[in-house]
Amino acid sequence: MKFFFPDSHDYVDPSFNFETEKNNEHRVIQRDDKYAHELFSKPVYDGILVSKAIVDGVKGVQGRYSVAQRQRFFREGIYRFFRLPKHYLTMGDCGAFSYAKEYEPIYTVDEVNEFYSNSGFTYGISLDHIIFDFETPKKKVTGKQLEECLRRQEITLEKAEEFLIKNKDMSFAPYGVAHGWSPESYADSVIKLQKIGYDRIALGGMIPLKSSEILNVLKCINNIRNTKTQFHLLGVNRLEHIAEFSNYGVTSFDSTSPLMRGLKDDKKNYHTATEDYTAIGVPQVDANNNMRKLVASGSINQNEAFKLEKACLESLIGFEKGVVAKKEVLSALTEYEKLYNSKASRVDLMDKVLTDQPWKKCPCDVCKDIGIHVILKRAAARNRRRGFHNLYVAYEKLQSELNKMNQVK
Amino acid sequence: MNTIIVPALKIEQGPGRALFSFAIKGKEIQSIASISRVKRHEDELVGYQRPEVSNHINEIKRYLESENPMIPNALVIAFNSSVKFVPSDHNKSFGELVIPIIEGDDSKPGLIVDGQQRAAAMREADIDSFQMPVSAFITDDSQEQREQFILVNSTKPLPKGLIYELLPYTETKLASSLQKRRFPARILDELNHRKDSPFYQLIQTATNPSGLVKDNSILKLIEASLNEGALYNYRDAATGTGDIEAMIIVLCNFWGAVSDVFPEAWAKKPKESRLMHGAGMTALGQLMDEIFARYHIDQQKEGVSREQFKQDLEQMKPYCHWTNGTWNFGEDDKVKWNDLQNITKDIQKLTNHLLRKYRMEVWK
Ligand SMILES: [Zn+2]
Repeated sequence: MKFFFPDSHDYVDPSFNFETEKNNEHRVIQRDDKYAHELFSKPVYDGILVSKAIVDGVKGVQGRYSVAQRQRFFREGIYRFFRLPKHYLTMGDCGAFSYAKEYEPIYTVDEVNEFYSNSGFTYGISLDHIIFDFETPKKKVTGKQLEECLRRQEITLEKAEEFLIKNKDMSFAPYGVAHGWSPESYADSVIKLQKIGYDRIALGGMIPLKSSEILNVLKCINNIRNTKTQFHLLGVNRLEHIAEFSNYGVTSFDSTSPLMRGLKDDKKNYHTATEDYTAIGVPQVDANNNMRKLVASGSINQNEAFKLEKACLESLIGFEKGVVAKKEVLSALTEYEKLYNSKASRVDLMDKVLTDQPWKKCPCDVCKDIGIHVILKRAAARNRRRGFHNLYVAYEKLQSELNKMNQVK
Repeated sequence: MNTIIVPALKIEQGPGRALFSFAIKGKEIQSIASISRVKRHEDELVGYQRPEVSNHINEIKRYLESENPMIPNALVIAFNSSVKFVPSDHNKSFGELVIPIIEGDDSKPGLIVDGQQRAAAMREADIDSFQMPVSAFITDDSQEQREQFILVNSTKPLPKGLIYELLPYTETKLASSLQKRRFPARILDELNHRKDSPFYQLIQTATNPSGLVKDNSILKLIEASLNEGALYNYRDAATGTGDIEAMIIVLCNFWGAVSDVFPEAWAKKPKESRLMHGAGMTALGQLMDEIFARYHIDQQKEGVSREQFKQDLEQMKPYCHWTNGTWNFGEDDKVKWNDLQNITKDIQKLTNHLLRKYRMEVWK
């Protein structure tokens, strides 16, 4: 079971100084930065997935890449651009979510082929069009809705056929995409893809589904799948079901979820093998959107806020060094929190984290490197590293699940 | 020798950094300070001010002549060392500035670093007793004057081109957006003023208005290459500078080859040649990075010769239409040579076209 990490410019600046909060002003973005595979001494994924839409942008909207970065991406190929050792796998897809609202996919099969082969991907996923609906016992898909689902499924299958025919001269291994709105319709797609000649099939549109729904789809597909058919789950991260997935022929999946939760989740954004914690908020007075609004509207005094923010940081750093007591840290944090958080205080959650000090027990390179900063919710330098730590934890969990499976066998 | 003596306050801001604060009659300013206009003497940059803006001066003049004018912000003047501060006996911070007055316009002891429009308005206005506050420092170093000029003026909209042209001749710490441009601006300056450079005097700047290529186009391509392309290989990440000689060689080899391969399009007005146009420069800059990458393998120090660039560019000739004909960007996308504009969309099309052809037909 391989885990792919979908990249969208997720790297950190190694020159960032956590005490002065400055980075090397001459740094060149991306080139001088570090990806997760460069930051950790052991892998946190088996490969990366890169979307054409992220690199190229879609219709008038620029992608995540600058023009010059994109040209270098094509010039250097995916391995050199990401400084990715050759033993990692790479997978390309179209980024169907970014054009899901369009009537038809915005790329041609030829453009997609050119993208995959110029970039030197290991695997390439055929051009697809997302289906949004999913049937539940209470809500059947019918009428116009059903027509649209069928139309999109048809497009996806047609493109898959063309994609496979043209794949003869290509250097990457092709994946067909199965979309559906019910277990049976997913199975129909898989039957057709197998008939066209695919033995690698990606299952798309499953991100919003419940785990039980995903398992139902897999069960249904299992009845018709050829034994050598391998499945990739697009955007799905349900580690607790790894063994079942594997039994149904799933050999790989991808997800940004561990990283995204480190960045965005409000409650459980620092993960460990046994427990999920809440990061300690120390918003930047002059950079945090919420703080800026509060200052601009006059509801808080900027000088006061700066003072409290600084007090929080200093006491946290002092706590890490063992010269400031937890009580003092918490009082600084609650004092500051009163300014920006009108909801229930999070002091108990913060107390819990400071008591357990989970970052001290974590063997990952990020925690060892930046200590308590990993648990501070405060701008990308810390938040993205916390996301990387979560990736590490997720990958370790996956490996231990896989070990358990092997022992059963 | 005539002198003006004014009471002054000495403010020490750091070791060797003294500032003098005093007031002087508006009309007397012109006898102690002049304006340093930016120009070039034999490829050497002198001066730093832009021309006066008469509208703005007239507005200030009208205000000065009004009933009860007040100008709270001081002029900034850089004096040369002919000006002396004589401290009083009891307090070193108080004293008098002794400013020699020299006839004629050439060698006034002071240069106005900030406030040239205000100074001009005072010269023109019908006022006699208006006292103007002045902040002054004493230095014979023209670099320091320039630095102060940029620091004081970078918050106001000075013409960008002028700032870029001054940048290489400064060393002090500037706002980081300017800081980042200093090194590229230095490379541009070298390209424009080295006699063996293919761009010799071809780049349009504040002091070289007859240049054909816009300074900004060249700066952009240098920056792109420093970040993403060939020049990155010679860059020093810690300082943001690098091996400038090696970089100049790459640039001169490539653009020299361009001028060899496309003589009909080189050194023409952008109107007559899309090569000398922002779009052509940007796209070719990317092609330079691409060709460089083909020859320059990792860990191999050697650069890419003019001959190597030339050889690859020759093969690109059939796909280029800088001065006539039609660009063939795709089946339904043909663009007449002079319909190509210096806008993002056209630049991208041209870049994609050149790089795709290069990858498919030359590099393979
Ligand atoms: Zn960790």
